[in-house]
Amino acid sequence: MGIISVEKSSRLIWLGRYTERAFTISRALSRYFDEMIDHDEYAYRGFLDCLGLPYIYGSRDAFIRTYIFDENDPNSLMSQLVRAMDNAIVMREELTSDTLCYVQMALDTLKQGREDSAPMLVLQQVVDDLFAFWGSADDNVANEDCRNLMKCGKYVERLDLYVRLGYPYREVEKETHKLLNRLNKVRFAHREQDAQKLLELTADEATYKANKQRIMTLLCTVLS
Amino acid sequence: MRDLIAHADSINHLLSRYGVKFGIYKNNTFHEQLFPFDALPRIITHDEFVQLDKGLRQRVDALNMFLADIYHEKKIVRDGVLPTEFLYASKGYLPECEGIMPPAGIYSHISGIDLVQAKDKSWYILEDNLRIPSGASYPLIARELCRRASPQTFRQNDIVDNRNYADMLRDMMDYVSAPGMRVILTPGRYNAAYFEHSYLAERTDSALASNADLYVEDNKVYYRDYLGQAQRVGVIYRRLSDEYLDPLTFLPESLIGVPGLMNAYRAGNVAIVNAPGNGVADDKGIYYFVPKMIKYYLGEEPILHNAPTYLPFYEEDYKYVMENLHKLVVKDVSEAGGYGVVFGSNLTSEKLEALRETIKREPRRFIAQEVIDFIDLPIMEDGQQVPRKADLRAFVLSGRETRVWPSGLTRFSRQPDSFVVNSSQGGGFKDTWVLSR
Repeated sequence: MGIISVEKSSRLIWLGRYTERAFTISRALSRYFDEMIDHDEYAYRGFLDCLGLPYIYGSRDAFIRTYIFDENDPNSLMSQLVRAMDNAIVMREELTSDTLCYVQMALDTLKQGREDSAPMLVLQQVVDDLFAFWGSADDNVANEDCRNLMKCGKYVERLDLYVRLGYPYREVEKETHKLLNRLNKVRFAHREQDAQKLLELTADEATYKANKQRIMTLLCTVLS
Repeated sequence: MRDLIAHADSINHLLSRYGVKFGIYKNNTFHEQLFPFDALPRIITHDEFVQLDKGLRQRVDALNMFLADIYHEKKIVRDGVLPTEFLYASKGYLPECEGIMPPAGIYSHISGIDLVQAKDKSWYILEDNLRIPSGASYPLIARELCRRASPQTFRQNDIVDNRNYADMLRDMMDYVSAPGMRVILTPGRYNAAYFEHSYLAERTDSALASNADLYVEDNKVYYRDYLGQAQRVGVIYRRLSDEYLDPLTFLPESLIGVPGLMNAYRAGNVAIVNAPGNGVADDKGIYYFVPKMIKYYLGEEPILHNAPTYLPFYEEDYKYVMENLHKLVVKDVSEAGGYGVVFGSNLTSEKLEALRETIKREPRRFIAQEVIDFIDLPIMEDGQQVPRKADLRAFVLSGRETRVWPSGLTRFSRQPDSFVVNSSQGGGFKDTWVLSR
């Protein structure tokens, strides 16, 4: 439609954040899953440590059942997708039905996969749906502001998760530049100084490693 | 048709994929559920539609004239066609709308007229919905998906394309609009018809707004963007009830309305679709008088008939209702959505007596109708065709001209022997085909 209200700008940013959270977590879990098969059945605790989540899952199976599929667990993957859908569903006229449906499909896939004996295959489908969501958004969402706001949310979330999950510096550097590129395209009051600061803190591997906490703090405010 | 039925599961899957749902509150909790779709369409022949088209346009034109009259001169009351009590006792009559002439003089821009077809094939009007009739989006998207799933069905049958609804809606909105943009005002995603709000916003290229996005300044309505810039709003297709529209005029406790909206409307600076105050014309009690309105305003005989209806308010009707309550259907005029509908034949003698007492106490609150044995339509259930009761909501759009959408929402009961087809009561829906020849 072309004009984005304050509430919708916030919805778009959070849509970007929640879809990205579901996407990156789905992919990150594969590493831990593999370990849990026949190496360390408590490997998931390493994942919880990275995200600062409590050890409320008593076993590997409880972690899989609850962390992935339980809507009542606010930290679960299911909850992230439900929140993504909450933000997407009120943006149909901007996103288009053809784009919105991929979030719905990811959510449906996860709901139907509750009883599946191969949760990684379910997550693969979720990742595919979310990839399709972003592809469709690029193709169908006519409003550039709308795309930029979603992508600002997406890259803030991705960077935050990459830092928390200990992704290699080269990945963090790449995602920082993607975020800065998007920030340059939207008009937030303190964008310039935040962008500059982010650039400084990720200038090289040593600076990055010494400033992870500051980067995460900065990411909390960069879109406010 | 076999091919279409064979793809029914795929179509329902696509409907789920596109989030074609409706919301319902049970035990104070919001649930969203899929609206079950039956692939077997209702088929309306070309000749039948010609007749329906004429009758529906006639009815809606008369209803629009009635609304203009009621909020201005009230000639129909002065001339004794409508008893004064019926006007002022109607919950839908809003004194706040007195003297307001909406842009282009149109009150009911989107009219949802519910009809049933009796076994002798004649159509009866069950009720008029002139406030916020919902449901057009369901057959609209279903048709799109049916065509995808079974192209040959649409190649082999001469079916009028119904996918012009959004264009009709947009044309109508533009026709009545003051200078400014189109907005669909929604109470929010926890409204039962939220899918429809968002889908129609997408299809008409309108902004879907909540009240927080709109404000009124100098009796003009503006939509505020995220950078604080404002754009004038010319037309609002509101999907919230009159009483919540503007807390400065109606319910002061409304948190979903736009303060000052009615002043902007009164000043002619924004069009509201449908006009506030329309409830007076779709009151179940006023329904009885619609055939009289047609004669009064248009000087014509009604082409489409009401179901035989009795008003206990009138002595003669009261006696009939009391004597025949066991075989009538009684409707509470203030209820909607299938609620407040009681079939006398389903009541025990104690309950029948209690209802009789209630009608005696509040005769204006009820209408009673003969139960029309309307035709069953076949629906697919577990691979078998079974007969179920179904109604039709026809959509009539009034703008530059009055136009009937060549389709409609066919709702059916999923329970054998039930006459209640509302989605909120577990009903499903079908596409409605109008044949082009």
